[in-house]
Amino acid sequence: MSVTLSEQLTRKKPMAVKKGPHEGPDLERSFGTFQLTMFGVGATVGTGIFFVLQEAVPDAGPAVILSFLIAGLAAGLSALCYAELASAIPVSGSTYSYAYHALGELVAMGIAACVLLEYGVAASAVAVGWSGYFNELLDQTIGVTIPESLSYSPIPYDGTNGLINLPAIVLVALCTMLLIRGASESARVNTVMVLIKLSVLVLFIAIGLTAFQADRFDNFWASGSAGISAAAGTIFFSFIGLDAVSTAGEEVRNPQKALPRAIIGALVIVVTIYVLVAVAGVGAQPIDEFSSPEQESAGLSVILENITGSATPGTILAAGAVISIFSVTLVTLYGQTRILFAMGRDRMLPDKFAEVSPRTLTPVFNTIVVGVVVAIIAGFVPSDYLWDTVSIGTLIAFSTVAIGVLVLRRTQPDLERPFKVPGYPVTPLLTVAACVYVLSGLAAITWVIFGVWLAAVMAFYFLWGRHHSRLNSGLPIGEDA
Amino acid sequence: MTLVVGFPPGKDDWSPIELGATLARSVGTDLLVVSVVPTVWPTPVAGGTDREYEVWAEQHGAAAVAEANAILAEVCPDVAAVVRWTPGRSIASTLLEQAEEIEAGMIVVGSGSTGSYGRVHPGSIGDWLLHSSHIPVAVATHDYVGSEHGRLRRVSCAFRGDDRSLQTMERTAAICADIGASLRLVTFAVRGRTVYTAGVGVQAEDVVLDRWVDQATAAQAEALRLLKESENAPSEVDSVVSTGRSWGAAIDRLDWDRDEVLVVGSSSASVIERIFLGSNASKILRHSPVPVVVVP
Repeated sequence: MSVTLSEQLTRKKPMAVKKGPHEGPDLERSFGTFQLTMFGVGATVGTGIFFVLQEAVPDAGPAVILSFLIAGLAAGLSALCYAELASAIPVSGSTYSYAYHALGELVAMGIAACVLLEYGVAASAVAVGWSGYFNELLDQTIGVTIPESLSYSPIPYDGTNGLINLPAIVLVALCTMLLIRGASESARVNTVMVLIKLSVLVLFIAIGLTAFQADRFDNFWASGSAGISAAAGTIFFSFIGLDAVSTAGEEVRNPQKALPRAIIGALVIVVTIYVLVAVAGVGAQPIDEFSSPEQESAGLSVILENITGSATPGTILAAGAVISIFSVTLVTLYGQTRILFAMGRDRMLPDKFAEVSPRTLTPVFNTIVVGVVVAIIAGFVPSDYLWDTVSIGTLIAFSTVAIGVLVLRRTQPDLERPFKVPGYPVTPLLTVAACVYVLSGLAAITWVIFGVWLAAVMAFYFLWGRHHSRLNSGLPIGEDA
Repeated sequence: MTLVVGFPPGKDDWSPIELGATLARSVGTDLLVVSVVPTVWPTPVAGGTDREYEVWAEQHGAAAVAEANAILAEVCPDVAAVVRWTPGRSIASTLLEQAEEIEAGMIVVGSGSTGSYGRVHPGSIGDWLLHSSHIPVAVATHDYVGSEHGRLRRVSCAFRGDDRSLQTMERTAAICADIGASLRLVTFAVRGRTVYTAGVGVQAEDVVLDRWVDQATAAQAEALRLLKESENAPSEVDSVVSTGRSWGAAIDRLDWDRDEVLVVGSSSASVIERIFLGSNASKILRHSPVPVVVVP
């Protein structure tokens, strides 16, 4: 059985007959609009808002508020397109899985490269951010700080550099251990964290607004369009998580109504919180203070300290951040392992990645590989280099999804779509446009990193994955990943 | 290969003797029923209080022996049994010493008085033994009652496909073949809870579970193949993978026989060859509706 290269590159994973859930009624959960909205808010808030002001405000100045709106718009549109793809293809998984079914193996591998960047690098970046807040918390509670050489990466950035970011590595190691022990434990931890995240941000907004001065918004347009789009690119990562709503489509009652409402509802809530945080932050201190070295690592906490002159609110915020960012790292690492698991099942990666340990019933090898790689990145690369990489991966994955929606409407017009994107074809086109606009703001170095990574993944695919893919061997397709 | 039964005096707990009788009948051996009474303070010149205490301990022990004898006469007049009381500072370690002394094949204890009926719930004594005995330990379910002249008809062996559980399986299989019981390999597949917010779909854990079921089924098939090749295969061998959202659900989903025990291997965490109950094993233990035998 010989297949041509182009057949190989465009072959799609057939839909497996959907197996019933493993057990009876307890697995049949169905979300309503409200639950789904809350679920989107929980998944999104906290990914980046604790660190993003320090990165984005110096780029855009007060107009950072517009950057938030643009990034939010791009994320919301992408989530809508993704929801159509997810509802039309009855599999469970990440963008990678949907692409494999809808757009073929090569595109799936490209998306996999994006998604691995999204999750892997985001986990590292969040861990680096956690390290800053952790140090701040230590300083304010027991007056001890971890020396710079052990809490900053060796690559210099803004004059701070050390040997290794040890707290970030420890955090990743802890999360890895928790994931190895079993995902059940991790899910329980997660719910509490969402509440902590929200309360801490409300605290910041409430205190931040007391120091509000309207003249801080002078020269609103000073950074121009380039600054706004650059900031939007950086900010985009803080909307990652909204797409989690899209993947829940098959568990939703009346998806045609509930999905757009939930996505838009969650987006409105998240954007409101973010914009309020931005307004409170920008209104509270002069723009150039955002890039000061002490705000680099524990931004929001330091702002509160400056406003009130007392350490207490900043300490509370740092404590909340330390706890909740832990959960973000955990969830991101979890996502990464499960995507690799799906790839292992498809034999796009060695089967070892899909092996379940009999001791813990979790994919231990996979989790350890992810933990080690993420820990190395977190320990040695400053977060500033990481965020944009996360954004580029996500944006390109989402643009591909939007294009995929357009393609599928053409090639498979009869496919049953429980949820159809409203305003077709304007919405997918607008999504692509919004993503491209945000992408245009990203620095050249980000594109280079992305290009190199994509090339590496593609090389792996052509040399290994293409020959081992499960679709080659006629192996049973099994339950979809 | 006498079985040592730990009998708690005055607690109206027949379950260890009931289980001991079923096991002894199946294997064709006898019982040593031991009641441990508090030991006397080892003062060289015993004062009045100490002597009084000694007398009380003796009476207490004698009463326990009488109680156990009465139960034995009612439950299993067909099984040869010796009843004795012995002083000891720790019930669990004294039972273990007694078992070592006669080179017993197993220590049988009850489930304490706190757990729910029909479930295994090792009390402090069982727990101690389950983390230090080098002799197999059988724990009866709370208020276990064997069937009349009952023998084991089936032995389930908790199996997860690693080398250790292969060893456990081989040893269990040999005993099953000896006593004419059928063997059932049981693998539990417990579904983890998906982290919804990770954006990898709401069924990410189902995929992991599916893979584990595949792996377990393959491992079971391989184990059964090995078993068939060996000489001491039981006449009837069966295997099952039971899935559930929790250990309890996965265990409840199986059918269980009244004359059945579940054999669970010990964790590899212990350095020397002795029992150390692992975390999965203790979850299985706590949800088992049949008596559990934990082997080193």
